[in-house]
Amino acid sequence: MSRSTTDGRADAVSARVRRLQRAVQEASPGVCAERALIWTAYFRDRSTAPLPTEVRMAQALSRVLLEKSVHIYDDELIVGNFTSKRVAGAIYPELHGVAMLANPSSFPTRAVNPLQISPDEAARLKAIRGFWLRRSIPYLAYREPWRKVRLIVDQLKPRYYALNELGGIAHIVPDYEMLLELGTDGLVARAHEAREGFAPTSPQIEFLDAVETAANGLAAFAERYAHEAARLAATEDDPLRRGELLEIAETCRRVPREPARTFAEAVQSLTFAQISITLESLDNGVSPGRLDQLLWPFYQRDVAAGTLTRERARELVAAFCIKLCEVIPVFSDATTKLHGGLMSGQAVTLGGVDVTGRDATTELSHLFLEVIDALRMRQPNLHVRLHRSSPQSFTDQIAAMLCDGANTPALYNDDAIVSALVERGCDEGDALGFAICGCVEPVVPGATFGSTDAALFNLPIILELALNEGRRFSSRWRVGARTPPVTEMRTMHDVTAAFETQLAHVVARMVGDLHAVESANMRFHPTPMTSMLLRGCLERGTCSTAGGARYNSSGVQCVGPADTGDSLAAIERSVFVDRRVTLPQLVAALKANLDDRDLFAYLRGLGKFGNDDALVDRYTAYVLERFSSELARHRSRRDGPYVAGVYSMTTHAHFGSVTGALPNGRLASACFASGLSPENGMDREGPTAVFNSVNRVDTRSLSNGVNLNVLFDQATLRGANGRRVLSSLVRTYFRGGGMQVQTNILDPAVLIEARADPSAHPNLLVRISGYSAYFNDLTPTMKDEIIRRTAHSGTAT
Amino acid sequence: MGTVVVDEVVVVDVQRFSLHDGPGIRTTVFLKGCPLRCLWCQNPEAVRRGPEIAVYAERCEHSGRCGEVCPEGAIRLGALARVDFDRCSACGACARECAHDAIRLIGRRVNIDELEGDLLRDLAFFEDSGGGVTFSGGEPMVQAPALGSLLARLSGRGVHTAIETCGLFPWSRMAPLLTSLDLVYFDVKHMDSAVHRRLTGLGNELILANFARLANSPVELVARMPVVPGFNDDEENVRATADLLHTHGLTRIHLLGYHGLGEAKKPHLDSPLAPFHLATMERRDLEKFASRFEERGIDVTIYD
Repeated sequence: MSRSTTDGRADAVSARVRRLQRAVQEASPGVCAERALIWTAYFRDRSTAPLPTEVRMAQALSRVLLEKSVHIYDDELIVGNFTSKRVAGAIYPELHGVAMLANPSSFPTRAVNPLQISPDEAARLKAIRGFWLRRSIPYLAYREPWRKVRLIVDQLKPRYYALNELGGIAHIVPDYEMLLELGTDGLVARAHEAREGFAPTSPQIEFLDAVETAANGLAAFAERYAHEAARLAATEDDPLRRGELLEIAETCRRVPREPARTFAEAVQSLTFAQISITLESLDNGVSPGRLDQLLWPFYQRDVAAGTLTRERARELVAAFCIKLCEVIPVFSDATTKLHGGLMSGQAVTLGGVDVTGRDATTELSHLFLEVIDALRMRQPNLHVRLHRSSPQSFTDQIAAMLCDGANTPALYNDDAIVSALVERGCDEGDALGFAICGCVEPVVPGATFGSTDAALFNLPIILELALNEGRRFSSRWRVGARTPPVTEMRTMHDVTAAFETQLAHVVARMVGDLHAVESANMRFHPTPMTSMLLRGCLERGTCSTAGGARYNSSGVQCVGPADTGDSLAAIERSVFVDRRVTLPQLVAALKANLDDRDLFAYLRGLGKFGNDDALVDRYTAYVLERFSSELARHRSRRDGPYVAGVYSMTTHAHFGSVTGALPNGRLASACFASGLSPENGMDREGPTAVFNSVNRVDTRSLSNGVNLNVLFDQATLRGANGRRVLSSLVRTYFRGGGMQVQTNILDPAVLIEARADPSAHPNLLVRISGYSAYFNDLTPTMKDEIIRRTAHSGTAT
Repeated sequence: MGTVVVDEVVVVDVQRFSLHDGPGIRTTVFLKGCPLRCLWCQNPEAVRRGPEIAVYAERCEHSGRCGEVCPEGAIRLGALARVDFDRCSACGACARECAHDAIRLIGRRVNIDELEGDLLRDLAFFEDSGGGVTFSGGEPMVQAPALGSLLARLSGRGVHTAIETCGLFPWSRMAPLLTSLDLVYFDVKHMDSAVHRRLTGLGNELILANFARLANSPVELVARMPVVPGFNDDEENVRATADLLHTHGLTRIHLLGYHGLGEAKKPHLDSPLAPFHLATMERRDLEKFASRFEERGIDVTIYD
């Protein structure tokens, strides 16, 4: 029986899929203790202590995979539970999880993102805290006690930069193509071959041993589902379901150990790998990549052989997408401020060109869009690559989705991203095959250890330091470099020189911390499972945490570029052009949080990024250029570049809350602009002006990706004309060099209603910053911000 | 008064990303000045030819700066700043000084080179979407010589051009524009000249003559009708309007339902127009009205 959607179209997914969806959406998210407890039991066992760390990691992971609970839920076609609960997240006690062990029983009652946990689970988690306090990465990063304290205290409430890598890395697009082609047995054979090049007692051999253990653990994990499916089949009364369970059993006996032969095997195989990588490294940004390319040969073959219908493929894809919604990240209250919305960042990329530059859109690209549009759940993060020869049917389908308020996919310009990746040092063929990792970060799939979310950087606070000799407005203590007092600044150049000095100073300090974290991850948290699915690691016998992958890089996000650029523009205008105030007067006013209402209004009224004003926009372009150049002066311990990105998750609210008043008229503690978007409500000239402004930024040096949110109200993009207008806007923006855009199309009244009564719209999705989140999961501040965002409306006379 | 300068226009507003003033993505330029005084005027700030001052007293923060800078002594400071419009020369000094947007200068004199440059910033969007620039107002033909230069330049760059006109202008002003104009939205407010005079201040003879001339020109002509319940929605006027279209072989009309947004602007201005009290037209009433044209074989596009 198929249900009809509200607008009368036949439902694009089956009733079974709707039941699966309901089961997941109705489950209260929880915390799963299994991974933490099994991991702890393994490392508490002193008998394994003499083993090489890589081998211990692989054994610990295998133990988790062999001991964790195994569930096959009603109606499932694709199996594999991330956690012991239908929707939950694991705790990684050796990473950021240690912060959550102090009071796990508070999860169900906390204000934002409450999570279910039983008193027994909470007690058992609390009991392992003592073991991990001195064994977690944040503690191990620095040797000297004062540095340990400084780093941990800094990162509890980050002010200058937030070091996400301190809590784990993940953020990869694994080489699932290789997994499907070789199976884990084939990978073990590869690891065996690789041994030949190394001395028997070398660290490389230890790493390759670890890979074999991890690969076998993955295969054995799947076999547990084969047993479970067979067990369920034995007692199943419904002959149809019994048949399905037996089929599942057969699939799980085969994959991922052996190469996938069918579409169903392929999807099942990579589902197991997806779960295992998540359990190894972190539940963040483990991105399946270009599934419309990866699965295309299987789809074609099965359809041609008559063993797969389009409907069945749609069901399998839907089952996979729903599965990705079963895992959520468990964050502490502090981390939730930076990354609100329970987003795991498992990104699927569709469309684009192939490695020869020809359009690669397939029927599967359309099928994924249909399924994800019908489901509208928070995962996967859906990204679409567009280029000059993207088929009209594909772009029409996307425009229809977006105009209908789907808020997904996010759109990427192949030309701009390939140029940026080549500029970063990727081979052109590799760059053409890019996939998006996590929120917005382009990587060469299966070959990049990109740590794309390594850190987020508070840029506006650098200006605060520059205007106060390296001190915060509220402090006498110098934290930055010693730059001249504002009384000695005579020209705009003096101001920017101080800004650049402070920027270099804080970036260098951040890189120092990142180096410590990178070394700690390399020494204490190698990831053999992740590494075996990244090209380069086996051949070099080197873990990805030690730079074994073909491409290494670390992404650092610039938060608040528009606020910073607008502030510099405001200084130039108010002090050096209008001469309305002197620089010392301006700084005094900022310290007083702009309590002079006339001055405040004057500063607010000055030009802002996003209004197509070249004189203003050049400052945002300038600060981003400086930021990426400053990063480019350093290299990571994995011998990769630090690359700049411009997305902010929900950090623009957090960093805003710790930063003083700015010359652009933003008051102390207020939110910054999100990602590369103009400041909220300050883009008064409509979306064409926003696109023109954004295209003044050179994105070639922003190879970790950018995020531009543009909000439209529903009336603007109504009907066929609305779809044409949206397609045209995006096409023109991309032709002008634009790298990325995502749209929010919604009626503000709905949001206001949802804020007042969360139960009125329990599943309302909004785009945050490269990902979708349920509106109800956001902090009150973020809800307000989403509502405040300018609703671009087409203007009628 | 003063000499007519053709390389300058007086602009009320420039709205980018306009989607309802012609095909594609457009920029709409609202020019100042109108010969009519329609009772229901939606853009009362665009009626006068020259710049003028508007006061938004509720935004006033009592800084007193407007009074200090006014060269005419036209601002009295009390509980709220008030402008003595008899003295005001609309120089705009107060508006520039006010940080709170409580006093605004309506109407900027803009050099047409500068305006052309501003409009062409969205050229790529115009080209891709088949959009362009629409001149509205006010009555754009009031500034015909400068408007003509702008249209010629834009047209020369391949930009689709349109105007929205009340139809009242000497034909000699329109004739030179025809080669650089793609589309004219032409208001047909009332077919009876006496009624037209009562509603707008002037009769419709010249308007109807211009309509006929444009209908015979190569420029695309689209009739528009502001629907003001109780004033021009009677059966006789619908019939006459439909006949006008049929006479010229036209088969479509755009209907703009009355809304009260224009009224909200009047109290801030020294408006020559009296207050007009009428409820905003409901969409279903507009649809019902539209069916009366459709019965006569005319395609209707509704703007509400």
